[in-house]
Amino acid sequence: MTADPVELALRCYPRWWRERYTDEIRSVVGDLTEDGRPRWAVTLNLLRGALRARTRAVGMPPVYDLWCTRARLAIATATLPWVLMGPLVLMVIGGQRLQSTAGRIFPGQLSITGGSNQLILGRGLPTPAPPLTVAGSVAWYANVAMLVLFLLTLFVLFAGWTGFTGAIKRSAVPHRRRLSLLAWAPGFSILADLVLSVTMDVLMPHSWRTSGGRPPVPMGGHPAVAHALGTALGVVAVVGWLASIVCVAVAATRADVSPLDLRFGKSVSLVVATLLTLTLAAYATWGIGLIVQSHQAVHGRFTTISYTHQDLWPLMLVALLLVVTLSAFGASAARRSWRVVALGP
Amino acid sequence: MASKRLGRTQDPTILVLTSLSGGPKHGYAVIKDIEEMSGVSFGPGTLYGVLARLEEEGMVEPLPAEGNRRPYRITAQGATVLRERLAANVKVATIGFGRLGTLGA
Repeated sequence: MTADPVELALRCYPRWWRERYTDEIRSVVGDLTEDGRPRWAVTLNLLRGALRARTRAVGMPPVYDLWCTRARLAIATATLPWVLMGPLVLMVIGGQRLQSTAGRIFPGQLSITGGSNQLILGRGLPTPAPPLTVAGSVAWYANVAMLVLFLLTLFVLFAGWTGFTGAIKRSAVPHRRRLSLLAWAPGFSILADLVLSVTMDVLMPHSWRTSGGRPPVPMGGHPAVAHALGTALGVVAVVGWLASIVCVAVAATRADVSPLDLRFGKSVSLVVATLLTLTLAAYATWGIGLIVQSHQAVHGRFTTISYTHQDLWPLMLVALLLVVTLSAFGASAARRSWRVVALGP
Repeated sequence: MASKRLGRTQDPTILVLTSLSGGPKHGYAVIKDIEEMSGVSFGPGTLYGVLARLEEEGMVEPLPAEGNRRPYRITAQGATVLRERLAANVKVATIGFGRLGTLGA
């Protein structure tokens, strides 16, 4: 094993590229370094070339199996980033609170039609809350749009996932059972979460005894075990979620599914990339709306809308932008690969 | 400095085809030829990216390897494309020089 950066950069190229060009490139690199070209510059150039070779597949021979593998990878690239980002986006846009200069507003939710939010003023009678600012309304509608897009994407991905697990069952690939297990990882993860959640609920104390000014004492159940299960549930949920992404990605790279199933996967990846782009637009609108709202709200009596983790907006915007780029690229690569795969072996 | 920046914006495809139009060359010879011709320094990653694309489009073809070096030559299709692109460039260049002449620059 060599630590030569040029060799490491060459290893970043896809196998078909290495088989075709590595010897030639080594020879050129040798000549260039003899000429005094810095090796770091050559390495950087090779890394850029490797990225291009992997992303654009220019010069990839028209071998059916190669393009099928590329199509599967592209579909995974278009869809799986959403699985990673979706819950994080939900976390940032959740925890909505309504506030006015006169106090907290109940209920803290708005209805599509504007609703009849009421403002609690001390012990007096509830009075109608002042309206949202224009920017606040825009932020709220963007938030609703994101939730709708989230559900739509979830539905499309679920359809894609069931199609994928079915495709593995139908395929003649060796280790089919093992691949099936990998593809089912999200199902197992959700099942584990459910079991832990139900067990925790059963073990929770169902009544509390209060006496005098002392803190309430739990009656029955196993509070310590329930607490431990609660912690375990958090860990299992996060680890299961990340492991599911990895497992499905591994299954996608190895499962030699039929062209018809690949076509379905390609369609799913295109839809997911489109929905993700719309989600990005809604997310950007949501954040801008919240920023503008703070300026508008000082010019009158308004209700302002805020979210528990809205401070994470810029960071998540950058992450979402990266994920959208990755997903769009994956969808485009899946489309291009499908054109070759459709020609048949 | 400005001319160097402009040099880097030249189309790598045209540069590689122009280099190969002078006869078959292997990778390193193409890089040196382009450097002398235009002042643009290609790295191996860039050169082989362009060669792969040109080969895929049938504009260049590899010849039998000489050791670890494989020469490439321009095809008839590549020559046609190069001629068209250069003619377009010449037209733009002629107009540009003409207009600069009227400016007296």
